[in-house]
Amino acid sequence: MSSNQVNQITEDRVESQFRGSALRRLLTYVKPFWHYMAVSLLLVLLLTGLELYRPILVGDAIDDYISGYQYPYLELPSVDTEASTNASADTNTNSDSSIEASNTDTTSTNAAKGTFSYEGDSIRKLSAKESEALRADFAQAMESGNERVSQMLSSGRYSQMVLYGNHYYLFRHLDVAAQQLLQAWDETAFTLEESNGTLLITPAEDALPSGSGSWSDTGNASTILTGTLLNRTDLKQLRASDWTGIWHTAILYVFILVFNIVFNIIQTWLLQLTGQKVIYNIREELFTHIQCLSLRYFDLNPVGRLVTRATNDVEALNEMYSGILVRLFRNVVKIIGLAVVMLTMNVRLALFSFVLLPVVAVLTVVFRKISRATYRVARTRLTNLNTFLSENISGMKVIQIFAREKEKYQEFDGKNHKLFKAFYKEMMVFAIFRPLIYLLSIVALVIVIATGSWQVLQGVISIGTLYVFLQYINSFFEPIQELAEQFSTLQSSIASAEKIFTILDEEPMIQEAEHPLRPAAIKGQIEFQHVWFAYDNKEYVLRDVSFVIEPGQKVAFVGATGAGKSSILNLIGRYYDIQKGKILIDGIDIKQYSLEALRAAIGQVQQDVFLFTGDIKSNIRLKNDTITDGQVREAAEHVNAAHFIEKLPGGYDEPVTERGSTLSAGQRQLLSFARTLAYDPAILVMDEATANIDTETELLIEEALKTLMNGRTTIMVAHRLSTIQHADNIIVMHKGKIRESGTHQELLAQDGIYKKLYELQLK
Amino acid sequence: MEAKRKKQGIFLYYILQYKWKYLFGLITLFIVDMANLYIPQYTGEITDGLQNHTMTMDDIWILIVKIFLVGATLALGRFLWRYFIFGSSRGIEYRLRNDMFGHLEKLSSRYFNEHKTGDLMAHFTNDLNAIRMTVGPAIITAFDAIIMTIMVLAKMVLHIDLQLTLLAVIPLLAIAVGCYYFGKEIEKRYTAKQEAFSSLSDQVQESLTGIRVIKAFVQEHQELAAFARSNKQNMDKNLHVVKLHAMFIPLLDGIIGISTLITLLYGGYLAITGGISLGQFIAFNQYLGMLVWPMIACGDCINNFSQGRASARRVQAIFDEKPEIFDEGNLAPVTTLDGSISFQDLTFAYPGSQYPALHHISIEVAPGETLAILGRTGSGKTTFANLLLRLYNTEPGQLSLSGTEIRRIPLKVLRENIAYVPQDNFLFSSTLEENIAFGVKGCPSEAVVDAAKAACIHDNIVDFPDGYQTMVGERGVTLSGGQKQRSSIARALMKDAPLLILDDSLSAVDTDTEEQILTNLKENRAGKTTIIIAHRISTIQNADHILVLEDGQMAEYGTHDELMARQGIYHDMYEKQQLEKQLEAI
Repeated sequence: MSSNQVNQITEDRVESQFRGSALRRLLTYVKPFWHYMAVSLLLVLLLTGLELYRPILVGDAIDDYISGYQYPYLELPSVDTEASTNASADTNTNSDSSIEASNTDTTSTNAAKGTFSYEGDSIRKLSAKESEALRADFAQAMESGNERVSQMLSSGRYSQMVLYGNHYYLFRHLDVAAQQLLQAWDETAFTLEESNGTLLITPAEDALPSGSGSWSDTGNASTILTGTLLNRTDLKQLRASDWTGIWHTAILYVFILVFNIVFNIIQTWLLQLTGQKVIYNIREELFTHIQCLSLRYFDLNPVGRLVTRATNDVEALNEMYSGILVRLFRNVVKIIGLAVVMLTMNVRLALFSFVLLPVVAVLTVVFRKISRATYRVARTRLTNLNTFLSENISGMKVIQIFAREKEKYQEFDGKNHKLFKAFYKEMMVFAIFRPLIYLLSIVALVIVIATGSWQVLQGVISIGTLYVFLQYINSFFEPIQELAEQFSTLQSSIASAEKIFTILDEEPMIQEAEHPLRPAAIKGQIEFQHVWFAYDNKEYVLRDVSFVIEPGQKVAFVGATGAGKSSILNLIGRYYDIQKGKILIDGIDIKQYSLEALRAAIGQVQQDVFLFTGDIKSNIRLKNDTITDGQVREAAEHVNAAHFIEKLPGGYDEPVTERGSTLSAGQRQLLSFARTLAYDPAILVMDEATANIDTETELLIEEALKTLMNGRTTIMVAHRLSTIQHADNIIVMHKGKIRESGTHQELLAQDGIYKKLYELQLK
Repeated sequence: MEAKRKKQGIFLYYILQYKWKYLFGLITLFIVDMANLYIPQYTGEITDGLQNHTMTMDDIWILIVKIFLVGATLALGRFLWRYFIFGSSRGIEYRLRNDMFGHLEKLSSRYFNEHKTGDLMAHFTNDLNAIRMTVGPAIITAFDAIIMTIMVLAKMVLHIDLQLTLLAVIPLLAIAVGCYYFGKEIEKRYTAKQEAFSSLSDQVQESLTGIRVIKAFVQEHQELAAFARSNKQNMDKNLHVVKLHAMFIPLLDGIIGISTLITLLYGGYLAITGGISLGQFIAFNQYLGMLVWPMIACGDCINNFSQGRASARRVQAIFDEKPEIFDEGNLAPVTTLDGSISFQDLTFAYPGSQYPALHHISIEVAPGETLAILGRTGSGKTTFANLLLRLYNTEPGQLSLSGTEIRRIPLKVLRENIAYVPQDNFLFSSTLEENIAFGVKGCPSEAVVDAAKAACIHDNIVDFPDGYQTMVGERGVTLSGGQKQRSSIARALMKDAPLLILDDSLSAVDTDTEEQILTNLKENRAGKTTIIIAHRISTIQNADHILVLEDGQMAEYGTHDELMARQGIYHDMYEKQQLEKQLEAI
C-alpha cells in the first residue's frame, strides 16, 4: 500500500511539470524512422508553400485578368482584318517606338499573338508589364519636356476600357495622354456624365496636354472623351486574352491541386506509419521490460495499472507522434510563411496586419494559464466524484443498512454541484476566449481593410494584393489558436510518457550472473545453507533455515499459516533473492545459473491454478509448440486428466474461458498437473491446494501426484495427511524456523507440533 | 417523474427543463449565422467600390464600421450561444448524474450483485459524456450546419448568381454523400481497431496476471511472440483506419479545390463579361469557404447522435430497473423495535436460485437476549443477517420483529433500529470520526470516543497523528483488517440500536482484544438484543441461544452446555479450536 501512495505522488508530480528530458527521450524513438520523418517534414514545407500560394494564384488572376480591363489596347491602324495573319511584321514596323524600346524583352511573336480585329481595327491588348512600361514612359516624358510629349502623342493610338457603376465602357482612338488619364481614374481630374449607353468624360483644365484627346479618322482631336457601353459579345471579344489568362491560371491551379492531394496523402501516410511503428516499438519494449521484472514488483503493483501503462498510456503517445509534433511544426511554418509572404508583398500592410499579434500572444498565454487551472480543478473534482461514486456503489449495502441514502445523496449532490461549477467555469473560459480571439481577428481584418483600401486608392497596391491579405488575415489567427491547444495535448502526452519511463527505468531485482551457467541436465539436489529471507528487507519470514534434499527425495513442509512454507518454494526458483545464506542446486549457488535453465528444471504446481484463455491443449502445452499433441495426451492420461477432458464436448480443443471458470477446482488442478508433467522437470515444487474437492476427484489427484513425483526431487507444502505420509522427510516450520524434521512415524513419536497438527487434521 | 422521463425519453425530458435557455441559445445562433454573411458582403462591396472607382475613403470607413459592428455582434453572439447551450448541457449532465445516483440508491442488493461496479461506473463516465455531447455540441453543430448551409446558399443565389452557385455546389454535395459512406466504412474499421485494441489489452492483462506461471514455465519468449502478434494486429488495424483518414482530408481538400476551380473559371468568365462584379466574385469565394465546414460537420453529427442514442438507451435501462425492496402499502404504525425476533418456519431461496439458502428455520429471541450463529462457509449465516435487514424479501408471515411482520415495518424504521457489522467491514474514504458516526445524525464527539473505546479502537486512533480526523483509505492511513473490523464495530455501537448484528466481526481481532470487546458488549448491550455470527466458539459460548447451521438447516440449537452434551458438530468444533489454541501458544 505504501508503494501505492508513493506512486500516486509521482503521478501528481509528473503532471505538474513539463520535463524536457522526457520529450528528448520520446524523440529518440523516432530515430530508426528518421528518413520517413524527414520526407514528411519536407512535404509539410512544400504543402504549406502550396497552401500559401493558392490565394496568391487567385489574387494574381484577379489583378491580371478579372481586373485586366484596365490595361489599354494598342490600335494598329493600317492592318486589314484579313492581314492579321501576318500582323507580326506590321506590328513591328508600326508600333510605337517607346513601346518597342521598352519591349526589347518581349518577343515580337508574343506581341503579335494577342492581335485581333475589333470594329475594323486591329488591336492588341497590352500586358500588365507593357501597360506599366507605358505609364512610366509617359510620366518620364511629361517631366523631360514638350518635345518628347508631342512625339509620344502622335506616335500611337489606344483604346481604354473603363468600369463605372458595374458597366464597362470602351473609349477609342485615344492618344497616350488621354489613355493615361482614363487609366489612372483620378476623379478630381475630370467630370463625367452618363447617358443612354455612353459615358462622356470632360477632362479638367490642364489635365491633358494641349492637342491631346480622342482622335477621329479625319485627324481631329476632341477633348471630350466618349465611351460606348459594352455588351457581353463585345466584352467576350475584347477580353479574350483575359479569358485565356484565367484558363492558364485554372490549369496551373489543377496542377497544384493534384500535387497538393498526392503530397498530402503521402505525407499523412508516412507520418501515421512512423507514429504507429514507434508506438509498436515502445509497447514491445515496455512489455518485454515488464515481463522481466521480478515477482516482487508484481506483488507491489496492481496488474490493472501495468496493463493501463502498456495499453492506454502508450496509445496516448500516438497522438503526439502522428499528430501534434508535425502539426506544431506545420503551424510554426505556416505562421512564418504567412508573415514572410505578407512582408514581401507589402511591408506596411503586413506590419499593420501584425499590430494585434502581441495582444493575441498575451491573451493566449493568459488563456492557457486560466484554462489549465480550471482544467485541473475540473479533473480533480471529477476524479473525486468518480472515486466517491465507485466507493459508494461498492458500499451501497452499508448505506442502505444504515439508512443513510438521503445523506449520501446530499453528499453526492454537493460533489456533483462542485464539479458542475468547475465544468461551468471551464465552459465560460472557452466561451469567452474563442469569441474574444474572433473579435481580435475582426479588428485585424478591419485594420487591413482600412489601410489596404487607402493604399489601393493611393495606387500603392492592387486589389489582388488586398484580396490576398484578406484571405491571409483569416488563416493567420487559426494556427496561433491551434498552437495553444496543441501545447496542452503535448503536455498530457508527456505525462503519459513519464509514467511509461518510470516503469522502463525500474531495474529487475533479480539479476543474472555475468556468465550464467546452462547445465545440460540438473540432477535435483537442493540445499539451503542458513537462509534468511524477508520480502521487504525488514520482517524475516525465514530465519536461518538449513536443509538438504537428495535427488529423487520427497520432502514435505508443514506448519501453520505464515510459517514460511510457501516462501521456501518461491526461493528455489529464485523468484526472490535471499538476504543471507546460500541456496544450492546440485552443489552450485542458484545465482550462478541462468534463470531460464534454473526455472526450466523446476516444475511448479501452484495453489490456485491459473488457466489461460484458449483451449485445453494450449493450457497443457502453453505456447511451447515443441510439445506435440501426442505428448499433451500422454501427459493428460498420466495424471488422470484425460478422463474428464475426453468427456468435454470439444475434447482437447474445448475452449477455456477466462481463468477457466467453467472447470471445477479439481479439474483445474489436474490440468495443472498435466501441464507440469508435459514439461518434464527434474525438480517438482508443489503448493498443494486446500480447496474443497469432491472425494472422487481427490482420489484421482492423489494417484496423479504419485505419477508426477515419480523419479523427481519433490518439495511440497502439504495439507493432506495422505500425501505427507509418503514423504521421505517432513520438515515442520514454525514462525520462520525449522522446528522438527523426520518421517511421519518419527515425528508422531516426538509428540511436538507435528502431532498437534496431525490431530487437528484428523478431527 | 419516472413515467414522464420514460415517455419523453432522456433527451427531451432533460432538454425541456432548460427549454428557455435552449430557445435563446438557438435564436442567438440563428442571429450569428445571419450576421456571419454580412462580412463577406461588406468586404465585397469595398473591393467593388475600389475597383469601380465609385467609393471614397469616407464610404469605405462607413463599411469598415459596419464590419466591426457585425463582428462585435458575432463575438457577443458566439459567447451567448455557448453560454446558453453549453451551460445547459452541463446542467443536464449534473441533473442526470444526480438522478442516476438517486435511483441506484433505491435498488436492492441483488442488482449490485449482478452488476459490476466497473460497469455501473461506465454509465456515469462514458454514457453521461456521450449524452452531454449530444445535448451540447451535437445539437449546436446540427442546427448551425443546416441554417448556415441554407443561408449561404440563399446568399449565393440571390446576391450573386444561380448558375454559378449550382455549378460550384455540385462538388460539395459529393462531400456530404462521401461523408456518409466514409462514415460507414470508418465505423467498420474503427470497430475492428477497437477490437484489436481490446484483444491486445486482454493479452497483456492475461500475461501479467499469469506472470507466475509464465516465469515458472519459462514462457517469456513465447509470451512475447504472442504479444508481438497482438501488437502487430493492433498496429495493422490502426493503419487500416489511418489509411482512410490519410485519404479523406486530402480528398476533401481536392473537392473544395474543384469548387474553387469552377468558381475561378465560370465566375471569372462572368466577372470579365460583366455578369457579376469583382466584389461578387470575391464574396462568392468567401461564401464557398463557409460551406465547407457544415458539410464535414454532417458526418460528425450523425456519429455523435447515434452514440448519444445508444448511451441514452443504456441509462434508461438503469431507470427502468424497479426497486424490489420498498415500503409496500399497509404499513404498521411502528417507530421503534424492542429487539424481539421471531422466525416462523422460514424457508428462503435467493432470487434466481433453485436451492433454498435457509430451510425451515424457527427461532424466538426475546428482547435483551443474545443469539449466536455458527456454521461453515456457505451454510447460510450471512443470509440470516440479510433477511433481518430486509436486503431481500421474505415470504409473508415467516419473519417478525417486535411482533410485527417485517414487510409491514417501514424500511427506515427497520434499518434505523438495527445496527450491523458487516463481514467485509466497508469503510468510506473520510475521517475516522465520520466513519464511526456514519449512522447517526449530528452526534457529539464524546459519543464517538465512547463507541471507539467500547470497540477497543480508541487507543489505535489516538496513536495516529491526526487522531479521529485521520483519513481512511488510499489518501490516508491504511487500516489493518483488525482495525477496520473494530472501527466497523464502533460504527454499529454508535447507533445504540435495539438490535445488533455482528457478522463474523471478530475474526481479525486477537483473543485478548476479543474478550475485552465482548465484555464491553455485555455492559453496553444490557437489555438489548445481539446476534453474533462467528467461527470461534470462544466468541459465543456465553450466548443465550446458539444455532449451528449446516447447509441452511438448523443442525443444532441450544445453549453451550446443551450442545456440548450432545457431542455433535458443536462439540467437535470446540475440541479442534482448543487444539489450535495450544498450537498458537508454542
